[in-house]
Amino acid sequence: MNGRPADRTVVCMIEIEHLTKRYGKKTAVDDLTFNVKPGVVTGFLGPNGAGKSTTMRAVVGLDAPTSGLARVNGKHYSEFRSPLTEVGALLEAKSVHAGRSAYNHLLALARTHGIPKRRVQEVIDLVGLHEVAGKRVGGFSLGMGQRLGIAVALLGDPAVLILDEPVNGLDPDGVKWIRVLLKGLAAEGRTVFLSSHLMSELAQTAEHLIVIGQGRLLADTTVDDFVSGNGQARVRVVSPDAARLAEHLAGPGVSIASPEKGVLEVSGTEAAVVGQTAAAHGLVLHELRTDRGSLEDAFMQLTADAVEYRQTTEGASR
Amino acid sequence: MTAAAMTERPAPYVQPTQYKLSAAGLLGSEWTKLWSLRSTWIVLLCAVVFSAGLGALISGTVPTDLEIGGAETAVGFAMSGVGLSSVFVSVLGILVITGEYSTGSIRSTMSAAPKRLGVLWAKAAVFGAVVTVLFTVMVFATFFLSQALLDGTDLGGISLGDEGVTRALVGYVAMIVYLTLLAIAIGAILRNSAGSIGFYIGVIMILPQLATLLPWDWVSDVTPYAPGNAANTITYVDASGQALGVGESWLWMGVWLVVAYGVAGLLLKRRDM
Ligand SMILES: Nc1ncnc2c1ncn2[C@@H]1O[C@H](COP(=O)(O)OP(=O)(O)OP(=O)(O)O)[C@@H](O)[C@H]1O
Ligand SMILES: [Mg+2]
Repeated sequence: MNGRPADRTVVCMIEIEHLTKRYGKKTAVDDLTFNVKPGVVTGFLGPNGAGKSTTMRAVVGLDAPTSGLARVNGKHYSEFRSPLTEVGALLEAKSVHAGRSAYNHLLALARTHGIPKRRVQEVIDLVGLHEVAGKRVGGFSLGMGQRLGIAVALLGDPAVLILDEPVNGLDPDGVKWIRVLLKGLAAEGRTVFLSSHLMSELAQTAEHLIVIGQGRLLADTTVDDFVSGNGQARVRVVSPDAARLAEHLAGPGVSIASPEKGVLEVSGTEAAVVGQTAAAHGLVLHELRTDRGSLEDAFMQLTADAVEYRQTTEGASR
Repeated sequence: MTAAAMTERPAPYVQPTQYKLSAAGLLGSEWTKLWSLRSTWIVLLCAVVFSAGLGALISGTVPTDLEIGGAETAVGFAMSGVGLSSVFVSVLGILVITGEYSTGSIRSTMSAAPKRLGVLWAKAAVFGAVVTVLFTVMVFATFFLSQALLDGTDLGGISLGDEGVTRALVGYVAMIVYLTLLAIAIGAILRNSAGSIGFYIGVIMILPQLATLLPWDWVSDVTPYAPGNAANTITYVDASGQALGVGESWLWMGVWLVVAYGVAGLLLKRRDM
């Protein structure tokens, strides 16, 4: 919006340095270090209780770190003279007094910074709440509360957006809308940092990924690298000579499964190797295909040891 | 797509610069918050009705053959509803802050004002000012109403010019404002509506009264200094018989407010939201 051509040195807008947060004996965030850069949407991924919300609260100064630092653009959040234009945060849907209307909630926040009523109306329209803006927030649905939270985050037209599970409770239309919105905001050069427990959701919105589990950093990578690095690539082969092929393919690091007769699922090798092996031994192939593991598989694999609240019935978790 | 986007990062975004967090902004924000809740209107209306209504009712039903008179009693009759309505406004003062914690709106509030203390001062200033204005009007209006009803009895014919009368009426206003400010600080310290209201009514209002029943002398020596009693002296037309002098009364009100807001401010800075 107010973007202006400036020097292209990459600044890190959000810097987390050795952040540790304990609540009593419980360590919610454990020596976490990462940066979030402007211009792209960065996803923040982790299972329930991983410490995502805690980290985000630390960035906006609501929870004080036990040790370490959380800074925005080189400063502690409380040092800003106009916090709402620096960082817009959606921390929990309905961080709103239930008896107040959406309009008045936004207006009260706007007044702290001298933001005009015009801007309040603008964000209300932007998130699609104009029809209910005068109603008490207590009667809002989850999705409406979420939209109000997004309006709050956008109120100061901030350089950094921190959104804790913004798609939670939104309908498919809303999910699509927010995806486009966030990508647009990042394209303007803003820093967009959003959390989710759904890898598939983030993969469609985010370009960069921070993955944590039990308060520790598990991955800090691009979405593409994450998928190829963690998604277990499997080669599926259909062949009348499956049994013999399997013998030739077997080796250290290679695991072969045969879900049905004439079909092999080979992991630990590549399709090209399988094809060459077959050719070298004169074996016929009917199908040769690489199956990339789904994003969700990749995520679950990475966080397998860091899941805190696991269902007791293993079968139900799939 | 990723590679291209990585190398061609957009120019850094520059946020609007005309907006600034300010003390005036915080006051305006608290003003908006206060009046945008229905409970504010309801509770303040109740306070007005009780303080004027009870004062009028008692003044209007005084038996004419009652062998009493004097400014002290007349003011006491007129202000008989004020004590009750001070409970209303104190509870509302508590809710002004605990309501933010119970609904989670404190997180929005504090992320807009991360230094935090300004929010506490703004809440106290706005609500304190509203109560000051409202009760200045109420106390004097109730006094005149009561005097009109008492006209012709031994309690009538008292004017603001009589010695100590205006000071006592101002004292009632000050007492209510003081108790309200104290209640806001208690809300900020305890952060929980039920707990704060219970503490305010039980420990601040009732305990000092109950304590006087205890057999030890030292208890009755200290109770006048208790936070809930410190303001009593200034509401008397003739304060000479009171345990605390007028000056001491003001001093102790100040002491308790400094203590309460000191603790509230310290905790507000320290605790997680
Ligand atoms: N205020 C608090 N007091 C005590 N423990 C807390 C508090 N906040 C968080 N925790 C604990 O810290 C851990 C991390 O919580 P956090 O809410 O940050 O996780 P999360 O990644 O946001 O999880 P979710 O995906 O479920 O939202 C959890 O075990 C939680 O129980
Ligand atoms: Mg969370």
